[in-house]
Amino acid sequence: MKKILSILTCAFILSTSAVFSADKVTIQLKWVTQAQFAGYYVAKDKGFYDAEGLDVTIKPGGPDIAPAQVLAGGGADVMVDWMPSALAAREKGLPLVNIAQPFKSSGMMLTCRKDMGVNTTADLKGKTLGVWFYGNEYPFLSWMSRLGLKTDGSTNGVTVLRQGWGVEPLTEGQAACVSTMSYNEYWVVRDAGYSPEQLTVFKYQSEGAATLEDGLYVHEKNLSDAAFKDKMVRFVRASMKGWKYAEANPKEAAMIILDNDDAGVQTEKHQVRMMGEIAKLTAGSNGSLDPADYERTVKVLMSGDSDPVITKKPSGAWTNEITNAALN
Amino acid sequence: MKTSYLANKFIPVSTIVILIGIFWYLVAVPMNSDKVSRQFKNLPTGEHILKCWSLKKPKLPTPHQIITEMVNTIFFKKISSKRSLVYHGWITLQATLAGFFLGTLLGILLALGIVHNKAMDLSVMPWVIASQTIPILAIAPMIIVVMNSVGVTGLLPKAIISMYLSFFPVVVGMVKGLRSPDQIQLDQMKTWSASSNQILWYLRFPSSLPFLFASLKVGVAASLVGAIVGELPSGAIAGLGARMLAGTYYGQTIMIWSALFAAAFIAAFLVFTIDFLQKITLKKMAIIR
Amino acid sequence: MNIFLFLFFIIWLGGWWINIKISKFNDPNLPRFIVPSLFGMVILLMWELAVIGLQINPILLPAPSAIALKFSRSLDILWIDFVQTLIKGALSGYILGCGAAFLTAIAIDKFNFLKRGLLPLGNFISALPIVGMAPIFVMWFGFDWQSKCAIVVVMVYFPMLVNCVQGLELIDPNRQDLMRTYSASYTQTLIKLRLPSALPFIFNGLKICSTLALIGAIVAEFFGSPIKGMGFRISSEVGRFALDMVWAEIFVAAIAGCLFYGLIAIIEKRTTFWHPSQQK
Repeated sequence: MKKILSILTCAFILSTSAVFSADKVTIQLKWVTQAQFAGYYVAKDKGFYDAEGLDVTIKPGGPDIAPAQVLAGGGADVMVDWMPSALAAREKGLPLVNIAQPFKSSGMMLTCRKDMGVNTTADLKGKTLGVWFYGNEYPFLSWMSRLGLKTDGSTNGVTVLRQGWGVEPLTEGQAACVSTMSYNEYWVVRDAGYSPEQLTVFKYQSEGAATLEDGLYVHEKNLSDAAFKDKMVRFVRASMKGWKYAEANPKEAAMIILDNDDAGVQTEKHQVRMMGEIAKLTAGSNGSLDPADYERTVKVLMSGDSDPVITKKPSGAWTNEITNAALN
Repeated sequence: MKTSYLANKFIPVSTIVILIGIFWYLVAVPMNSDKVSRQFKNLPTGEHILKCWSLKKPKLPTPHQIITEMVNTIFFKKISSKRSLVYHGWITLQATLAGFFLGTLLGILLALGIVHNKAMDLSVMPWVIASQTIPILAIAPMIIVVMNSVGVTGLLPKAIISMYLSFFPVVVGMVKGLRSPDQIQLDQMKTWSASSNQILWYLRFPSSLPFLFASLKVGVAASLVGAIVGELPSGAIAGLGARMLAGTYYGQTIMIWSALFAAAFIAAFLVFTIDFLQKITLKKMAIIR
Repeated sequence: MNIFLFLFFIIWLGGWWINIKISKFNDPNLPRFIVPSLFGMVILLMWELAVIGLQINPILLPAPSAIALKFSRSLDILWIDFVQTLIKGALSGYILGCGAAFLTAIAIDKFNFLKRGLLPLGNFISALPIVGMAPIFVMWFGFDWQSKCAIVVVMVYFPMLVNCVQGLELIDPNRQDLMRTYSASYTQTLIKLRLPSALPFIFNGLKICSTLALIGAIVAEFFGSPIKGMGFRISSEVGRFALDMVWAEIFVAAIAGCLFYGLIAIIEKRTTFWHPSQQK
């Protein structure tokens, strides 16, 4: 019976790709439409998805949208998320699997004002730091615990603020440091009139607290479905093509993003710049996940001080099956 | 008539508006002073103050900055453009009206049930009141996400938040209104051997209308708040709420304020429309009677 | 159809039927308590069964039993959040805002011109989505409870002002004349006649504002907060997929809201027993 079914599905796939009735794929992004997701928008705009026989819907995210929840409810087939959040969801009973990892390095940083007395990590003690929560706090907490700084506001530690979506805490002087992404908020700080000389920047990547960012995740149960797997192989292949195209043509990629920005707030200057920074993070990844990066992420997450994100080592949280099929 | 309107309403209101405007400009100086001194060193006082009123990303934008931004984004952008405030306002208005419609419908139905059925009166009414103590706006993001994830997307999740906020005043007002005919009138209907449907249609419903309109005004304002807060989490996608959020995200205070002002105009427009409908309807009914 | 969904419908219909029976009792007090609590319990049971029966993923909607468990296990955190958000943020803003509005109402009551100018304006502002100003207030007043308090002050001020002014205005002229024949001073008239007769309006304002205060304090926390508070917990726990904790916070908010509303209603009953709306 199963054999017949799989033959039938294969036949179905063949027939559908033969008559070019495109397979539908919905992707949920982690954040709003911006160059951070250029690969997907470029692949859609340039017809890379069409060429693979895919009809892709891109759903932008937002500050209070957890892509994993959307996936759990069946609102998307695949999502872009950071690994800490995906592993947390896995432990809470939503088995997510990383099928591709276009981002090699982490863009997360802590940006500090020198005039508020922060030059090295030793200066952090007693300072007020802005941190993103909503699942993005884990790398920070683990880094602080390695520096031996308490985050509960006690005298020998740091005071943590839940930073909103802007960088005002820094510019208004409410915090000495805020979380920034190398491709986004950092430049908002720069635009607010701060020169690189006035800022101290700690990159999570160089502090050894980097976790894997923007990867592609799907529901584990779907991976046992051959048709879905085939769809994802084509999706990943086209997306990576989109990424490489965006890296090579940052200006054009930024314009495609602007065309797709429904809120009408992104500017060309910011998006071109962002594309340039994003290209630095995607460089060195052909789309497949490097097991060493995964191990490092898990280590960072499990070393969290009091409230670790994941309590036990996850298994089966990633696969190279899709990328191997897509890229070879 | 005209002069009394001028003296009673127009002059006092505009005086106060002007006073608020002056106060606004005064406050803007100390609020933005820090930013100005950081960007421009050693300005003479006069210029310093002028700069306080014309910063690009001020802490408190001045009214003329907000109005300029509004004029730019309302009249000088194509309505279909995603940078047009009209486009975003329209999206918010749609969700507001959809939610308001659903809320009114639900409110009236519940009120009818409550007035006609004792079991419903006893079991539903306390929970209707309790429902409003749940800070729905506070969990709006979660509701939107959960609904999004089960496939309810677009206008509907926002409209449902709006509905939740707007059905309450309608239920309360409508129950009060449907019960407002006094015993004498009800007895009169009974002597005419009117059915309960007839009583509802010819007596209860007409006498509830003034209450209904008062509730509708409260409801439509609540509905707008619901739609805007509903747009905050859905990210910087579209609508006035998304505009406000995007403004916060990029420190564009003028954008936040112009979205707030736009929301204020929509609120005024909606409330006045209902006011107008109320006047017409009630006048007509008086003539019929 | 599985057994849980079957039970779901049985309980629904059963609850309905029992409630109809009970509400037909002639005892005036018994149904008033039993019927709504039964209704609430049936809803909870149906929720539980639906979550189990439809196998809803707990990161979307947890079952009431899971929420209750989480609630009982994290009383300490819930208490810290409660103090941060509701006592420091909402209550202080509520008292300041309502108090300021009340004093303003008395101050402008003497000046007809001001009143005529402020009343329509206040009505208009009450209809505005003030909660949208929350991010601005966080920018102005910092992260801690002060900014939450400020947004609550602005949110409650105008509805309260409008209610107080209206209450002070609607005085039976006969009574006013009576006070005049007693040659009562302005203060005497205010304290003995006008304030008491404005009480129903004042309480109406207080009731409306209690919900607003709750919402304002929680929503403002979404735009930046220290690492405690109900709004902080709600949004950060959603990100950790601990939906049971989120619902526990919502439960706290609802209970606090109901109790506060109830408290105002009881005070209202005690102080405005003479008003027709309190007589049944």
